[in-house]
Amino acid sequence: MSDAGYTRRLSPGTRAALGVFARYGTIIGLLVMILVFSFLSPHAFPTYNNFINVLSQASLAMIIAGGLTMAVIVGELDLSVGYAASLHGVLVTGLIVANHLPIPVAVLIELALGALIGVVNGVIVTKLKVNSVIATLGVGTVLVGLSFAYSAGVPIVSGVPESFLQLALGRWLFGIPNPIIFMALVFGGLWLLVERTAIGQEIQAVGGNPAAARLAGINVDRIKILGFVLSGMCAALTGTLLAARLGSGTTNAADSYLLTAFAAVFLGSATLRDGEFHILGTLIGTLIIVLGFNGLNIFGAPTFSQFVFQGAILIVAVGLASLGRSLAES
Amino acid sequence: MAAPPAVPFVAANAISKSYGGAQALRGASLSVLPGEVHGLVGANGAGKSTLIRILAGVTQPDTGEIAIEGRPVAIVSPHAASGLGMSFIHQELAFVPDMTVLENIMLGLPKKKTRLGLVDWSAIQRDVAPIIERVGITAPLDASAKTLSTAENWLISIARALVWRACLIVMDEPTASLSAGECRKLFSIIRGLSTSGVAVLYVSHRLDEILDLCSRVTVLRDGRSVAVLGGPDLTRRGLVQAIVGGAVEHLPKSRGAARGEVVLSVRGLCRLPRVTEASFDLHRGEVLGLGGLVGAGRSELARLLYGADRPDAGSMTIEGRPFAPRTPAGAVRAGLGLVPEERRTEGLLLSKSVAFNLSLGNLTPLLASPVLPFISLRRRARLAQATIRDLSIKAGSPEQPVGRLSGGNQQKVVIGRWLRSKPKVLILDEPTRGVDVGARGEIHRLIRELAGHGMAVLVISSEPDELPDLCDRVLVMAEGRIVRELAGTDLTRSAIIEASYALTEERVSA
Repeated sequence: MSDAGYTRRLSPGTRAALGVFARYGTIIGLLVMILVFSFLSPHAFPTYNNFINVLSQASLAMIIAGGLTMAVIVGELDLSVGYAASLHGVLVTGLIVANHLPIPVAVLIELALGALIGVVNGVIVTKLKVNSVIATLGVGTVLVGLSFAYSAGVPIVSGVPESFLQLALGRWLFGIPNPIIFMALVFGGLWLLVERTAIGQEIQAVGGNPAAARLAGINVDRIKILGFVLSGMCAALTGTLLAARLGSGTTNAADSYLLTAFAAVFLGSATLRDGEFHILGTLIGTLIIVLGFNGLNIFGAPTFSQFVFQGAILIVAVGLASLGRSLAES
Repeated sequence: MAAPPAVPFVAANAISKSYGGAQALRGASLSVLPGEVHGLVGANGAGKSTLIRILAGVTQPDTGEIAIEGRPVAIVSPHAASGLGMSFIHQELAFVPDMTVLENIMLGLPKKKTRLGLVDWSAIQRDVAPIIERVGITAPLDASAKTLSTAENWLISIARALVWRACLIVMDEPTASLSAGECRKLFSIIRGLSTSGVAVLYVSHRLDEILDLCSRVTVLRDGRSVAVLGGPDLTRRGLVQAIVGGAVEHLPKSRGAARGEVVLSVRGLCRLPRVTEASFDLHRGEVLGLGGLVGAGRSELARLLYGADRPDAGSMTIEGRPFAPRTPAGAVRAGLGLVPEERRTEGLLLSKSVAFNLSLGNLTPLLASPVLPFISLRRRARLAQATIRDLSIKAGSPEQPVGRLSGGNQQKVVIGRWLRSKPKVLILDEPTRGVDVGARGEIHRLIRELAGHGMAVLVISSEPDELPDLCDRVLVMAEGRIVRELAGTDLTRSAIIEASYALTEERVSA
């Protein structure tokens, strides 16, 4: 294949070095970043409080990226996650403020709704055979519309109970912020699912070679739908936690998570494995991006630089991932 | 006539190449004279593909020299290889389905331009016409390539090589997916190329073709060129001995094994246009062959049995119960297993480990406990190790990526997947295609063993040689119908070939 062309002509030494770079480049990058920021800002950056803070902020992006990883592992893209999270934020606030539902009930409804959105995405992709980029972009746009229809574009701010805010701001276990706990549960669960269950083996098979998986007797459509469902549920959790953190349900609030999640997932695929999507990789990928943002913030870098950073890192991530793949192939 | 010692068009000398820890070539040499049809044979994993990849500039050798017409060269890229006058036609043909025949012939070649700088297709068509004539492309030049048969696409590839004025055309398993008639046509083209001074390096497992076509043959074994046979030395026996490097084992025929009750019964199965009518019974403990030409509808019939396609009409039963699979998953649940024709694209996840591939589709035995959904990787490795041992799969460890194994060993992995789940019916589509002589014998023995344990086995094969050795009974398909059933003493190679062509000839004479 031509995309693997140039890596084949390299000397074995260069190839080995590139291989190490492709697999461990992201982790090295993460460590370098921590060192540089610690050195430049020894009082603000390398403190327990800052790390917990960063991790707590990162948790929301991590959860949505973890869900997105499930969609890309089964070989599809889910562009609806950001819009879906925004809608969930608006709806959960509405359910609590306007409908006076108990918080756990409202959250469960959101999770169920997230799963439903996943089913819709999955059915459109597998049964109607619509390309997942188009399908999820379409569904996501419809969700934006629903969100505006529900809230008329006005943020739901008043009457949000303190107990709901505690979902994101509280520290219920060992003084660790709740989002970190949620994130750890989600990642632990997803990692176990993918790496250590029978369904996980099928998930990996469907992503690796759908034709072979189908002929081996795996129900490929069902596994793909499951990928979208998990993606949808994680988007619901992120949206809910964001609304709790902001204390309001705001349309568009979570839209920007889409890009962060994609960058994280692709960075993750270039971590430890040769361009293969996996849960642990996504965790590291999100950390890099969020720490990068945090560093830029600490140094007072202007807002535009964050976009430049995020766009650039997405391209670097995909580049690293395909470098890893071509090295593995040749 | 004592010809002067000709300068070889290409001479590769003492080529070595290793991938990671695996030594693919250990000082292999190959020289092809101008205008010669030169055979390259060897077991899978002997290093044929690596040698060709090096000639094609896809891979660089670790050591060794290559000379073209006596001048040392470095083939740094596929582009450089074609610049040196070599053209490569791979097993998986590279063509763009949506482009026309002419566009595909000219793909990647410099094209004549009009004064406005646009591609001058009419001038190109004039220039290409003699070549089209020579290779015998009958399809209209503006037909889209996807409407053509595999054979016609081969002709396009050859035409492309000639337009480029290649002095050497390398063909990798060219007849793997051609029918007998198409093969004959290809052979006459190859002979024509040879007379007009174009050398052909012919890579194949099919020794009959090699003996028929080639004037000299290089045999690779374990990365070394162990023999260059030509003239009176070039015999079937000599080739086989050089390939295997020892005694050849013959499969003892175990025909007449007690055949059990009917497991799979098929009545009037039809899916137009490829399968018009198929009815047969498959018994417990029997190996049933399905022979016929490529395009006779055998693979399409297998897809119907396996739920990959739905029939227009007809019915099936498994052990007397109605069987109408809507998906392969449904067929597997009902007790079917399939070893597909294209093992690399349809059978395996090449980047995943041997253990992963073996357990695919049958994950229950891996569960660590009956209640929790978790699997035990240790158990997976242990089960894989057992299968690797049982099937003597040559793999370093269960965790080795399956893509690094040779074709025969990859095929054993696909078959090994069904060993543990023990389906009632196992369908194998071209189980030994592209597999070397030794592994072929082992795969045949394995198939007989499975039948011996009571599995009902259906083997599809385009090689008439394969079925009489292996099967208790053979059904021959032609043009979508089962035209003949052969068993016992009637089951011979020539009877299969005869039956394969029967319908066509009747139609011609009618």
